[in-house]
Amino acid sequence: MMEKSVHSRRPTVNEVNEFLETASDFENPLELIREALSNSYDARAENVEIQIDELSDGRTRIRIKDDGVGMDADGLASFFDLGNSNKSNSIGYKGHGTKIYYKSDSVTVETVKDGSHYHAEMEQPWKRLNNHQLPEYQYQISPADEASFTKIEIVGFRSGDSFSSRKITYNRLDHYINWKTIGGSLAHRFDEDAHEMTISLELDDSLDRTQGTLSQSSRFKFPPKRTDFETTSDVDNLCKHYPKKILTVNVDGKEVQIEVVGFVAGKAAREELPTHGRHSSQFGVWLAKDHIKVERVNDVIGSDHEPSRFFFVANCQALELSANRETIRNKSDSVYSAVKAELRRFITRVTENEWYREYTEARRAAQQVRASASQSESIANRKQQLSLDGHKVPSNPPEVIASLAIYNETADSDIRVVDYEPGADANAILTVGEKLEAATLVVNLHEIFESELTVSELERIVCWSLGDLDVLCETARKGYFGHSIDFVTRGDQTSLVVDGEEVPIVELRSSLY
Amino acid sequence: MSDEVGEARVGELKTASMTLQTPHLLPVVNFYCGGTRNSLYGGGIFRTIKEFLSSHPETVHGRDYSEFFKGVMSSVAALTDFNITQERYLDYLGTPIRDRVEFSDFDGGLFVDSGGYKILQKGGLSGSNFDLNVSQKAVYGIQRAFGGDILVNLDSPLSPNDDYETRVQKTEQTAEYVREFLALTTREESRYLTIHGHNRTMIDRFLTTVEHTLNRPLKGTFDGFALGSLVPYKDDMGTLIEAVTAAKKELADRDLGDLPLHVFGISGRVLPLLVALGVDSFDSASYLHAAINGKYSTSLFDTVPLSQAIFDDCHCPVCETEALRSDMRGNTRYQKDVLGPVAVHNLAVQQFELKKIREVLQTGDQDRFRSYLEEMYRDRPASRKFAYRTINKTLEPYF
Repeated sequence: MMEKSVHSRRPTVNEVNEFLETASDFENPLELIREALSNSYDARAENVEIQIDELSDGRTRIRIKDDGVGMDADGLASFFDLGNSNKSNSIGYKGHGTKIYYKSDSVTVETVKDGSHYHAEMEQPWKRLNNHQLPEYQYQISPADEASFTKIEIVGFRSGDSFSSRKITYNRLDHYINWKTIGGSLAHRFDEDAHEMTISLELDDSLDRTQGTLSQSSRFKFPPKRTDFETTSDVDNLCKHYPKKILTVNVDGKEVQIEVVGFVAGKAAREELPTHGRHSSQFGVWLAKDHIKVERVNDVIGSDHEPSRFFFVANCQALELSANRETIRNKSDSVYSAVKAELRRFITRVTENEWYREYTEARRAAQQVRASASQSESIANRKQQLSLDGHKVPSNPPEVIASLAIYNETADSDIRVVDYEPGADANAILTVGEKLEAATLVVNLHEIFESELTVSELERIVCWSLGDLDVLCETARKGYFGHSIDFVTRGDQTSLVVDGEEVPIVELRSSLY
Repeated sequence: MSDEVGEARVGELKTASMTLQTPHLLPVVNFYCGGTRNSLYGGGIFRTIKEFLSSHPETVHGRDYSEFFKGVMSSVAALTDFNITQERYLDYLGTPIRDRVEFSDFDGGLFVDSGGYKILQKGGLSGSNFDLNVSQKAVYGIQRAFGGDILVNLDSPLSPNDDYETRVQKTEQTAEYVREFLALTTREESRYLTIHGHNRTMIDRFLTTVEHTLNRPLKGTFDGFALGSLVPYKDDMGTLIEAVTAAKKELADRDLGDLPLHVFGISGRVLPLLVALGVDSFDSASYLHAAINGKYSTSLFDTVPLSQAIFDDCHCPVCETEALRSDMRGNTRYQKDVLGPVAVHNLAVQQFELKKIREVLQTGDQDRFRSYLEEMYRDRPASRKFAYRTINKTLEPYF
């Protein structure tokens, strides 16, 4: 009988497959730019130059040069190794990002650090990996009296099917950098001394000939503040900044911090932002790591509000990213749900703020103005189409019309309904003597304000009764979508006064009873 | 007032015979429920409440419950619920509540509501062998006979379904009652004016109508105000906040903002917000109704079915008394003795919370009050937006 024995083995990693797997996470050459910018930022660079051109054989060449601290032999090793970053508290601490470079025909690194110049080359990394060989890199060291720098050159990057390097344009690259990379960082909102880089782009004419070079700061800019509004047309231009706020949540006994900053803005102000992809899909609440936007969580806004009015970035270092940094990995952790719950509270504070409530009112008023303009046109059309030549208490506008006929006999008046359109705010065109007038027929006058009908185009109101005087009084007190409202009585004629313009009211009940 | 934090205020409400710390919650206590002196005038669960209030030895088991009953709300309408005879009616009114031997241990303040809503709905006070026409004079007579510290006029509360004409009519009727109320009462009594309406216009019209009917300014006439007609909106926080805000603003505009404001019939989850808006006192029977429905309060907001209650988590005198815990587990002959202690526990939960609010307000520290409100509402999505709106209105706004 065999005796029981105990064995121990360490699991092994197939290095080639691991490199292939990691590099395969990346499809988009713009991600290569993102990784390079993060590395430059971590190297404390102040200037980064990116050049993209096409070689005569059609392959793309991407060159990135920064004036950061440079790399020595260990730095180079870390650059080429997988999961062996020498960074502990920076964007590229996982050591995965640079493996995107393996998806190419060649990688060349030239760097100066502490008086030494290093030149490293890796040939055919992608081909070798696919032949189940681990690519190697050679490097040379020589003395240098230059300031530190790093220059990386990638030739023949393999894009995924959905993306061709020929699609790289200034506009696209600029927006991508602003939106998805450290170039759109909001770190400076929380730390005024946060590092700033100038990023310069130069594309070969064959890719984009619309401009020579493009230069931008790594700091994401909000549209300028504009919080005062007087007229409804101001609303689209509004932009209220919400200064930095650090929210703290307790998750399983640990404190997690969320840094939030953002703005609420009208359409025109939002147009001033750079975007990546469809403009409207860029708004709402973003979760960020390293102050770089990762994923939107618009469900924290709640269904009462349109996400497109908001732009908030919530940075939380407790979030973990997927290998390609495109999504959040730890969504099943309690930290993710706690962060979202706290953001929900934060957005409620925003939406219950007096300014936001006034802004929402102003937007509704602006919609009224638009509706009024459209109504004015509609009334004109309807007028044009017309060639002029014991009482039941009405319960709907057609019954008001019937009462009007009786009123005409009793009050010796001649007001006739010549056109009636049930769905319209001004639902009737009247003839009053020779004149055509746009009117609203309602059972009770106060219903006009409760139903939020537009009043700016009205020439007369026909109602059975004035209705609820408290509603009328409250409307006069508060105003009506930016209009001043008043009621005046001269003799037995009551009028509604909209912004100083009198609209006569025919109250049928008072004449018939 | 001793401290103000934003609109909220903390202080003392003094009448000729009592002093209450504000903000204050007055539990509704029904002193007459049809029984005899020996049965503390009867009333099932109501009777058990009265036993707690009057320190009935077999009920309180040596503990003191007076801090929960420092001020109580009672209503003239209580008399309408029981088939009272004329003899018993006259006997009952013969001695003020606090002067009766059976309530000698109770020395709390008495706020006596006119019970207008209920009486007017029933059309009068109807006994088994007599009918009493409801008039301001009759109601005042009962309020005084009870020995009330704070009295309010008879009123005709508004219903959400009232149209404008009905509201005007009710307001005019109430104003007429107010005129009589002033003629009957004396300056030595604390006179509160009931206010009705839930927006600025309605409250403005109400106060104007009353002032016009009285033909004298409200200032110097009343000792406080009581906002009514809000019970139908008890679950509509938006309307409650608007109504209280409107009342506060109208009173301030009329230079009456320093006088205390009571809100009739509201407590529970909206209470901290009403305090934030500057309400000084409330009354509520919710502690009783929850118990009657078998609900045991675990906080100002939450209840659990009595069968699931864990008494160890509560440090109120009821839950700390083994005999009452046993009662609440159902080991009693009568249901009133199961639910009575539950009601007093529920009241204790509300009173403890209000005490905590007073303590926060006494620091005068706006940030602490804000943190308190934040903490109370942070995990209650339905109420949270109203809490944030109130904070924005009454304290330093968030942004």
